[in-house]
Amino acid sequence: MTIAIDIKVNGEQYRVELEPQTTLLELLRDSLRLTGTKEGCGLGECGACVVLVQGRPVNSCLMLAADANGCDVVTIEGLTMNGALHPLQQSFVDEGAIQCGFCTPAMVLSAKALLDRNPEPVEEEIKEALSGVLCRCGSYNKIIRAVQSAAERTRQSV
Amino acid sequence: MKRLKPFTYFEPASLSEAIEILAERGNEAYALAGGTDLLVRMKRGEIRPSALVNIKGIRDLDQIRNEPGRGTHVGPLVTIAGIGNDLRLCSSHPVITEAARVLGSPSIRTMATLGGNIGRASPASDMAPALIVLGARVAIGGTAGKREQSVEDIFSGPGTLRIQAGELISSFFLPEIAPRSGAAYLKIGRREGMDCALVGVAVQITLGEKEKEAIDGRIALASVGPVPLRAARAEKVLFSGPLTEDRIKEVARVASDEADPIDDMRASAWYRREMVRVLSSRALQKALARAEGGKEG
Amino acid sequence: MKTGHVGRSVPRLDALDKVTGSALYGFDIELPGMFYGATLRSPCSHAKIIHVDISEAIKAPGVRAVITGKDFPFTFGGSIKDQPFLAIDKVRYIGEPVAAVAAETEAEAQDAVERIRVTYEDLPAVFDPREAAGEDAPLLHPDLGEYTRFGPYDVVPGTNICTIRRYKHGNVEKGFSDADEVFEDEFSAHSVSHSTIETHCAAARYEPVSGEFTIWSSNDRPHRAIRELANAVGIPINHIRLIVPYVGGSFGGKSTLVAEAIAIALARFTKGRPVKATFSREEELTATQSRVAAWMKIKTGVTKSGVLTARKAEVFWDNGAYASYAPGVALRGGLTVFGPYRIPNLELDSRLVYTNKMIAGAYRGYGTTQVTWACESQMDMIAHKLGLDPLEFRLGNGYVENDRYINGQVLRDVGLKETLEKASREIGWGSGRKRISASRFRGKGIATTIKGTVTPTESFCIIRLNNDASITLLMSSAEIGGGQKTVLAQIAADTIGVPIESISVQNPDTFVTPYDHAVASSRTTYHMGNAVRSASQQLREKILQVAATLLGLDCNRLSLAEGKVFEEGKGERMHLDALMSKRFGGKGGEILAEGYYTSAGSPLLAAYSGLEGMSSIFWMYGTHAAEVEVDVETGIVKVLKIAAAHDLGRAINPMTCEQQIEGAVVMGLSNTLFEEFILAGGRVLNDTLSDYKLATARDVPDIVPIIVETRHTEGPFGAKGLGEPAAAATAPAIANAIYEAVGVRIKDLPITPEKLLAALKRKKVAN
Repeated sequence: MTIAIDIKVNGEQYRVELEPQTTLLELLRDSLRLTGTKEGCGLGECGACVVLVQGRPVNSCLMLAADANGCDVVTIEGLTMNGALHPLQQSFVDEGAIQCGFCTPAMVLSAKALLDRNPEPVEEEIKEALSGVLCRCGSYNKIIRAVQSAAERTRQSV
Repeated sequence: MKRLKPFTYFEPASLSEAIEILAERGNEAYALAGGTDLLVRMKRGEIRPSALVNIKGIRDLDQIRNEPGRGTHVGPLVTIAGIGNDLRLCSSHPVITEAARVLGSPSIRTMATLGGNIGRASPASDMAPALIVLGARVAIGGTAGKREQSVEDIFSGPGTLRIQAGELISSFFLPEIAPRSGAAYLKIGRREGMDCALVGVAVQITLGEKEKEAIDGRIALASVGPVPLRAARAEKVLFSGPLTEDRIKEVARVASDEADPIDDMRASAWYRREMVRVLSSRALQKALARAEGGKEG
Repeated sequence: MKTGHVGRSVPRLDALDKVTGSALYGFDIELPGMFYGATLRSPCSHAKIIHVDISEAIKAPGVRAVITGKDFPFTFGGSIKDQPFLAIDKVRYIGEPVAAVAAETEAEAQDAVERIRVTYEDLPAVFDPREAAGEDAPLLHPDLGEYTRFGPYDVVPGTNICTIRRYKHGNVEKGFSDADEVFEDEFSAHSVSHSTIETHCAAARYEPVSGEFTIWSSNDRPHRAIRELANAVGIPINHIRLIVPYVGGSFGGKSTLVAEAIAIALARFTKGRPVKATFSREEELTATQSRVAAWMKIKTGVTKSGVLTARKAEVFWDNGAYASYAPGVALRGGLTVFGPYRIPNLELDSRLVYTNKMIAGAYRGYGTTQVTWACESQMDMIAHKLGLDPLEFRLGNGYVENDRYINGQVLRDVGLKETLEKASREIGWGSGRKRISASRFRGKGIATTIKGTVTPTESFCIIRLNNDASITLLMSSAEIGGGQKTVLAQIAADTIGVPIESISVQNPDTFVTPYDHAVASSRTTYHMGNAVRSASQQLREKILQVAATLLGLDCNRLSLAEGKVFEEGKGERMHLDALMSKRFGGKGGEILAEGYYTSAGSPLLAAYSGLEGMSSIFWMYGTHAAEVEVDVETGIVKVLKIAAAHDLGRAINPMTCEQQIEGAVVMGLSNTLFEEFILAGGRVLNDTLSDYKLATARDVPDIVPIIVETRHTEGPFGAKGLGEPAAAATAPAIANAIYEAVGVRIKDLPITPEKLLAALKRKKVAN
């Protein structure tokens, strides 16, 4: 059995035919070859697969591609606008918030979802927004600082 | 990682269509809401549905509707994030938003639904104790029509509901809360972030005319029994006099006694009982402070 | 003139790739015609394999190959050659690979695995290393005496003891009788998982005609991995190529052949088409490697004024079913039980023992973490009993410049005291226990650690100055997250005299990048840094020779900086690209340089006769001071702050040093408070990340990394190492802080709320 879904990923419209058991993660990585989104557990317990659907963070390993039909999905690849880094990406680089980098896409997107809704978060809110993505390299404090720095940067430029 | 096995897939447009498909296929078919429990169980090989019925296309199951003077209806497809962020619920039934905000992680909350959470019937559910202390009721649709019961009575065992194949939760009802009420949901785990309740305690009380005297109140416990537990004996102590420090301690002690935990890989029964005692006391203090007006305990 | 790159927090070279999602990891490798591998694993702890029926699996849709141990009957090992690629006639732990399938899709491979039927005959199993070391214990490796060994490991054939190390210095009995007080305590450090977010993954292709393997894998020591493979299957090293993309974390776990073993074995049977094996999280938590658990008995003698007189330690290390890299833990890591202290009389009995459990191997700290737990916990117990300040007690006994290590090696660049002073100052040492509320108490604790690096080892590198003056750095130090690429590029840039932007650092490819021991043992900055320095110096000299010839000048008048040749007194004479252009003309060319470093033969290693093997080319010192808050009603420990001071020689890149310190502190904290394998016999019950709990963003304290620089005489720009010591001091610092807060001593890791609460209740009852 195959189904057809229409999905917008990083601003581009796609129509994909797939089997219903295909997850959004598999659609992104295998069908669309967007390998920036990672998989660490497949059970929604590590957050490495987080992408934004309608601006909100989801564990794409637990979402059927079918459920993204008609949706707007943003992956890490979609953050670079005309070759320029998103303020969050720049902050992550500047603050040393990246070690092995495997959790970085999910961390950046989780932070983006937060800042898009809450441009002036307090530290507790940042920690909560990031709490679903595991970083084994232990970069949490620098990641939090990067989010604060990006928020500050965006505030100043407004 | 484990790949999902193929299944027949349905996207019914109406509740009756969904019910018909589920009834026809019996235990072979599962309703798909948020997927955060269902897909995990499928990947772990715990269940092998031959069909998935995606109910998220059914209109109006994701609404929060207040009926003034009576209470609030919450659709089963309202997401946990939707509940946690809802300003009306935060004001009218704060214990449910408090529980919603500590469930899982932000991304899980985006996807998980109230219906799915209760449907999973985990004894560790954060939402169940909150619904129980709210005296919530649930409407269930099936081929024989609609029926209603209290959330408290719907759990039959760990992971099972008193619900037939072909039946679907169609709505939750949260009765309006009396003035001078306060509630709290506290949970404890091994770590701060993204943790399942090792023990969870929800308390709701309504104060009467006399100082610190409860005229209504409920206590519900997570993870200390085969189902979310209502601590009925502890509730009796709530009404036995003013809620002094000693009475609060006694309520907590009885709740701890009433709990029915097991030793499992996460904790021993002893520790869980201790935590029921500690959390009941703390949650009751918080609820009391909130009922008395504003200040946190 | 712009200051150099060394010493500055140059942004990481790999950051852009990673933050844009374009970095390719082992996990992302996709090859034309690739099949997917899945593994059937043993459900038994110890059993004979009676029969494997693959008949249903081979018929399953999409299946291309189904193999068992009999099809690929080779064994490998990083230290001792004891581990089959796939179990051959018996299984030794739950999770051991028994069969593997290659299929068109991952789902088909997983389905086919479910159709394989195996008959086992149970054998008695043993799970505790103390029991397994006994004479009557079931034997895991009856042929232990015949296994090839790749190091000076003493095995005890006919037993489960796969490494035994006995060490004596002076006379401990005399030391104890000279002491005013003798303390005897038992501690245990549990096994933990590396839990890299990227699971183990590898792809392999076997070319049937030439008999060559190409492997793509997240591996932190590619040259040693191919050597293991070459040794195992009996093919020459130049028939194996291992390409390492970005690695999503290793911490010692991606060191030997793990996913590689499955991919390699399957590739042998797919007629030249590549096979990729990606481990699931469940496999990661039950069937890869873990930290070597340790049971330690420590007896220490001390005078009443706090001078250590003797220490005797007995350590049992739990290897799990195969040796992997654990023998070095028992051989070397165990010695750190004596801490960075002057103790005249020493004795160590260190035994690594096979048990029927998941393999334990290399894990950040390499044994130091476990024995530091014991050593630093006991140091506090001693201090408290004698009425001494734990900080002063350590300062009094701690190594200072020119002290001799236990084997006589003279210690130089000893930053121990500075780390103790700075960490304790940052935490506000001496404030004592504080009561915050009816149920919450705060306390501070301190712990220090010493760690060496595996000595001697070798590192090689090649630098290519391309035709357009861009530079390619070829070396096999994988970027596993520590900023290896960046630090080495900084060293190259400053030593050659070019802007760092002109340097590109390639990922390891054993056909192209020369030999390196490993990214392990905190050795990369020092060893590969020295190799890079050596190659850079050679390149610089070659460049200046060419410039001298082109300019008709004496070489001594020339220097190179910022990619430009300068003449003394005259200024800028030539850009590097112009130099290359002039030198090679239209037909093109390049300038090559090579570098090599080994610590072997260094005068710094001199020691008492016959004991040079215990020396380390550098010693790292670190002190952690922790402040915790304990809720005595729940037993929950909240770590408020950790001040982590580390003597790392020289911070080539302060930012990456902070990353290492903070990262290791978080890992240490997580290991100590949240992580444990919950076992039923040999079965891991908590095989998901919801039950094997790692620290999240909400669980981390305020961490203050403090860099102490002592400038090593032979290290590149004075650098030593850093990656591991910060993992060791966290656990005892937390335990010592808990003791100050609530007067309870936990001696067996992990520190759980339940354990702490039970101990608090017992204390209350006792009082």
